[in-house]
Amino acid sequence: MSTTPKATDLNAGSQGVVPTSKASHSNENENTRYETVERGQLHTANYRCYLRDVQTKLIVSPFHDIPLVNEQYSSSTRNQEIKIYNMVVEVPRWTNAKMEINKQLKMNPLVQDIKNGKPRFVHNVFPYHGYLWNYGALPQTWEDPNHIDADTKTIGDNDPLDVCEIGTSLHRTGSIVPVKIVGVLGLIDEGETDWKLIGIDVRDKLASKINDINDVETNLPGLLEATRRWFKYYKVPTGKPPNKFALDEKYGDRAYAKRVINETRTYWEKLASGETKVEEKVCSIANTTLNNHVTMKKDDAEKLVEADENYHKEPAQVDSSVHQLAYVRDEEECATKEKSFKAK
Amino acid sequence: MASQSNDNENERYETVQRGQLYTLNYKCYLRDVQTKAIVSPFHDIPLVNQHYTSKTGNTTDVVYNMVVEVPRWTNAKMEINKKLKMNPITQDVKNGKPRFVHNVFPYHGYLWNYGALPQTWEDPNHVDEDTKTTGDNDPLDVCEIGSTLHATGSIVPVKIVGVLGLIDEGETDWKLIGIDVRDKLASQINSIGDVEKHLPGLLDATRSWFKYYKVPTGKPPNKFALNEQYADREFAQCVINETQKYWVNLTDGQAKVDDKDCSIANVTLNNGRTIKKEDGDKIIEGDENYHTEPAKLDSSVHHVAYVPK
Repeated sequence: MSTTPKATDLNAGSQGVVPTSKASHSNENENTRYETVERGQLHTANYRCYLRDVQTKLIVSPFHDIPLVNEQYSSSTRNQEIKIYNMVVEVPRWTNAKMEINKQLKMNPLVQDIKNGKPRFVHNVFPYHGYLWNYGALPQTWEDPNHIDADTKTIGDNDPLDVCEIGTSLHRTGSIVPVKIVGVLGLIDEGETDWKLIGIDVRDKLASKINDINDVETNLPGLLEATRRWFKYYKVPTGKPPNKFALDEKYGDRAYAKRVINETRTYWEKLASGETKVEEKVCSIANTTLNNHVTMKKDDAEKLVEADENYHKEPAQVDSSVHQLAYVRDEEECATKEKSFKAK
Repeated sequence: MASQSNDNENERYETVQRGQLYTLNYKCYLRDVQTKAIVSPFHDIPLVNQHYTSKTGNTTDVVYNMVVEVPRWTNAKMEINKKLKMNPITQDVKNGKPRFVHNVFPYHGYLWNYGALPQTWEDPNHVDEDTKTTGDNDPLDVCEIGSTLHATGSIVPVKIVGVLGLIDEGETDWKLIGIDVRDKLASQINSIGDVEKHLPGLLDATRSWFKYYKVPTGKPPNKFALNEQYADREFAQCVINETQKYWVNLTDGQAKVDDKDCSIANVTLNNGRTIKKEDGDKIIEGDENYHTEPAKLDSSVHHVAYVPK
């Protein structure tokens, strides 16, 4: 039974808790192979966070160039079945700015999503502050909008595969984090397939104990339930109905998640090779490492970055409405609570 | 010295910061904007906000001044310092280091703007009849549940709609539930029932927060008086009245408290401990200069603790 929760809502605004940074920096404890190059000003429409190979200084696309599999960490695990993936961090835990790998721009820098002409911030749905985990994507994957998923019965959302990184460190936008994937949630966001992988930084102190979806509940009790709830309601303050899920709202396990990754990896291969045709202005497949018909030269990629506005150290001031709280009441949830209350 | 008035806050007081945030030398004093006299947020700022109280037209709807210590979603345990003269807000120290409260999943830092009512005091010489424990020697605590993020040192006009009877590590530690009267929901929130109606889940989460917030440091879950239930507005009023009386005894010199445990120095009370404006200024000048950049935080402050419930 679907119910329409009442929302005490607030308009999107802005928040400024994201740490500022120099124009380019390698992230201290992150993968040291890539660094970020920032242009424009954070929390404005002109902000760009590019990825660059630290050694070659080659600008790379976090969508097409960064390898899906982290070979260094994968080979060091005894079990070859356990692949370690590279995760591109878009949104740090507890922040609101909706940073994303931009599909349209060449070299796919991370930019802030725009809504109604303004930089978009996700609401704080009580009791959560911004995002519950470090949130991002797996490179070299793609949810093909031309395919209808067998489990969700809906088309792909045209984006790389999303990851919720559940470890305890706070990662920064543009970090490349080695993750193991232990499960997946079948979100259907506004009618489109939008799988949410559950992953953990392999360097997290609990990583060795968390190998499949049940380990998450054992070691991090309440996280899976909160995650499902978060995705169900996070758009309600903007006036959308609660989201739905595939698989009876249950989490798929590690094996299931692996199949989703493999499938979306195949879709991406077809996209990158040109076999699946998508308009350049809808989705750019420009890259610097694939040696294909749209591979750019190092200098040309640099020119792109230089054409952007200079990096502005101070983020733009954020409207106070970004810090506000939204309360979402789920009629179903309340009915269950009231019942148990009356029973006392 | 760095001084700033908080943009949307009570315009009568401003903060004066000394030292560096997140270090042991940080101090946030309060100052009267007009007279420029340093005031104590414990003893000089009036408990009742006359300006907003008379606006309500209803003499039972008292509006109080709340001193904000910890902004929502932050971890640094900022507190009105009882020992220092003029009671600046400083960071609590634990094991020789500035103290940060853990993030207990799913919460990030504090759930509300947190602070205290001035001119109140939980007397450690009294055993509370409901909690059966002695007072924690601090002003009365408030959780401000409105939607705006307030800054440390802000003075916020609040109405109090209820109270939770926390017994924190064996000491009476009432937690008032209040809301900024300028919040857009303020007119609709006048009782504990209204809180549940308009802010569903907040009361449960608040109780859970206080129950478990020290568990990651190795302490057991906290207990509560009144069968863990929230008491209503009237009850809260009684708690406020009682702790105000204790405070009056304290500043009259009647409570047996050592000056180094609790300073009652002030500029407005015209009593044996009232100091001159210039003396207040001298105290501040003795402190380290204000450092605009906060000290870097250890990454462990951002970690998430899971407490099985």
